[in-house]
Amino acid sequence: MVKFIYSEIERLGITDAKDERFDDIFMAAKENFWKKGKSLMVVGATSDAGKSVTVAAICRILHDRGYLVAPFKSQNMSLNSKVTRTGAEIAMIQVLQAKAAGLKNPDAHMNPILLKPKGDTVSQVMVCGKPFADYDVEGYYNEFVPGPGIQIVKEHVDFLRDRYDCVVMEGAGSPAEINIYDKDIANMRAAEIADANVILVVNVEWGGSFAYAVGTIELIPEKDRKRIKGIILNNVRGNTENLRPGAEELERITGVPVIGIIPHADVVLPSEDSEALRGVRSKGEGRSLIGVIKFPRMANFTDLDPLFLEDVSTVFVEKPEDLNGVDAIVMPGTKNTVSDFIWMQETGIADEVKKLWKKIPIVGICGGYQMMGKILDDSNGIENGTPKIYDALGFFNNTTKFGEYDKQIVQNEGTLAVGNGGEITGYELHMGISEVGEKQPLVLLERFHADPVPEGSVREEDLTFGTYQHGIFDKPAFRKYFLSFVKHDGEPVDTSGTEDYDSILEENLTKLAKVFEENMDVEKLIDIAGVRE
Amino acid sequence: MSILFLGTSSGAGKTTVCAMICRYLKKNGVDVAPFKGSNLSLNSIATKDGGEIGMGQAFQAWAAGLDPETDMNPVLLKPSGKGVMQLVLNGKPFKDITKDSPMDREMALQKVKKAFDRMNAKHQLVLCEGSGSPVELNLMKTDLANVGLMKATGVPAVLVGDIERGGVFAAIYGTWKLIPDELKPQLKGFIINRFRGDGSILKPAIERIENMTGMKCLGVLRYEYLRFPEEDSLSSSEGKLEGNDVHSAFIANLDEMITHAEEDGFDFELMKKMAGL
Repeated sequence: MVKFIYSEIERLGITDAKDERFDDIFMAAKENFWKKGKSLMVVGATSDAGKSVTVAAICRILHDRGYLVAPFKSQNMSLNSKVTRTGAEIAMIQVLQAKAAGLKNPDAHMNPILLKPKGDTVSQVMVCGKPFADYDVEGYYNEFVPGPGIQIVKEHVDFLRDRYDCVVMEGAGSPAEINIYDKDIANMRAAEIADANVILVVNVEWGGSFAYAVGTIELIPEKDRKRIKGIILNNVRGNTENLRPGAEELERITGVPVIGIIPHADVVLPSEDSEALRGVRSKGEGRSLIGVIKFPRMANFTDLDPLFLEDVSTVFVEKPEDLNGVDAIVMPGTKNTVSDFIWMQETGIADEVKKLWKKIPIVGICGGYQMMGKILDDSNGIENGTPKIYDALGFFNNTTKFGEYDKQIVQNEGTLAVGNGGEITGYELHMGISEVGEKQPLVLLERFHADPVPEGSVREEDLTFGTYQHGIFDKPAFRKYFLSFVKHDGEPVDTSGTEDYDSILEENLTKLAKVFEENMDVEKLIDIAGVRE
Repeated sequence: MSILFLGTSSGAGKTTVCAMICRYLKKNGVDVAPFKGSNLSLNSIATKDGGEIGMGQAFQAWAAGLDPETDMNPVLLKPSGKGVMQLVLNGKPFKDITKDSPMDREMALQKVKKAFDRMNAKHQLVLCEGSGSPVELNLMKTDLANVGLMKATGVPAVLVGDIERGGVFAAIYGTWKLIPDELKPQLKGFIINRFRGDGSILKPAIERIENMTGMKCLGVLRYEYLRFPEEDSLSSSEGKLEGNDVHSAFIANLDEMITHAEEDGFDFELMKKMAGL
């Protein structure tokens, strides 16, 4: 295209940059060279089939071949979200996929609808990264989906197709839930809107994968079924070749080629949902034991992932006894600070944490940090329905007010204000504003053409640390600093090999893509994506 | 009489559902005994006669008010690592099997069939549990506990699908579809397990599956926050287990499940009819 523009400039003898004939050249260039991007959708036969990692792997594989790729998930239900550069909140997993696609700045088009579960049946619906409204299940499917929902999906996938060679879309749950098929905008309907070919991913680990594949394909109505162009058998433990004869029979039965038999990939990537944590009592293999308070509404627990790169293991604390023998405590974020603080008091965990205060290091992030202050002021009943002011843990001289239904959403960069300093990155997602009565901040946040803003609280002598910054452990600076206070059998954690979490993720995305590439018919994938031309 | 419960995947909840039904039938005066043709598990228990069977069948035996015995689980495979499995036949270690020295499948099937016949002669109803999914295309030919048992004994079967992971209708339909045509008439029904919420929203979908397959839905069982013995490494149950005696605590949990199943309209009568009672 650039060549064409130059030759036209030469042909017409244009010398002035303001020449009006430029408009004609650009229009002609667009007509000759621009074409709408293709789209490819990955659906899963179940939750946790491996859709997210498959999308990430495909994004990386196409990116490596020189295509401009963007991930997309119309509707995501997750409590793990991140903030884009423009202050929009999108699901963490699309941010990771964007990274796999080689994109530095993910944006809200990649996940236009984000559902954040608030209670058992109600979710906060975020549209384009901003709070839109709260819906229960029925309201969501009967009002939101047929109304704004479909329009939102259309608008944003279209936006991406106008700008990328290929949009790699991710479905949600199973596409063959025949009781809600007509109301589902996350799977085959989204594929139709984007005119996408579809790949079905099945997790082999649980067994029954052939039945899941056949059933999924056959329960999808014929007009949509035609879009399914490939099957991936994922997460195979043992020799993938053992599955080959079964895969061939599956091809004969369904008429859909099996384009990959992917072994279990041993990669370090963040977990998407609390599903993955359900029933998990501990994680990691290191020597130092960190107790993580497992709030019922725990959010953004991907904050903890970088800790597992260290000589650390965690135990999830659901009752006071779980704190026995821990070397440090992390109080993570929560979707609802007040309700989870009440839970912490009722379970007796709050008292136990108070007993351990000043003896072992305690760090609070976001909601956990709010609880470490003196007061949680919910006098408007924003958090818990009933207006009330609560005496919090009192480790810091801070007061948090939930004044109005408003949310702070911001992405930050800065430096550590304590220890040896060093670079930090983070993002804030919270209801409530804190009046900080502490002298020592944890970080200094950079502001454009203005003085750095202090944030967080530190009392080194009390081994007490708190911040609003999610992702605070990602860069080595704070991880090293915090772990220097954590002693196991009197010995501090060795952090000499501490690395940037971002570069670890990058390495693992490369590793993931390699596993897919070696076990998948990539040429066939490119054909299905329709990008070759 | 006999009936076989097949899972659409591992961990679909077969073991617990079978135990619950054993307990229910026992309480309602049926002489029921559990059976699993072949079991792949490291959790085993010693029977009174000095044999070894899978934990799941022992647990089901207690639920049925019986002592565990070796005929309840004639083939037990115990993975001992590096591709080696110990084959326990009729409760006694028989040999180590490897890729190069595989199990004599015909011999094993005969053992399964004979144990099944002995159980059948002794009890009014043999309640059988399948193993994994019955339609692993690469394993079906050598199967013992699922289509192997169906072919050898003509036992009627019910599918158990786990809705928690999603895709349960696809799993049930796909499993039915892949069962060899000559065995399809033996597939009488299905159960949807581990549901959270109001079951009525599933009704139209259930009717569609019934119409497509000719199977009848016995019921939708709710997600239970109750703990049961772990059968294999894939299931991670969490929840309540109260009291000092584990044995009676499990039984109490089964009774709670039965109450819930009855509340949710689980069709025990239809199940009995399918079993030929």
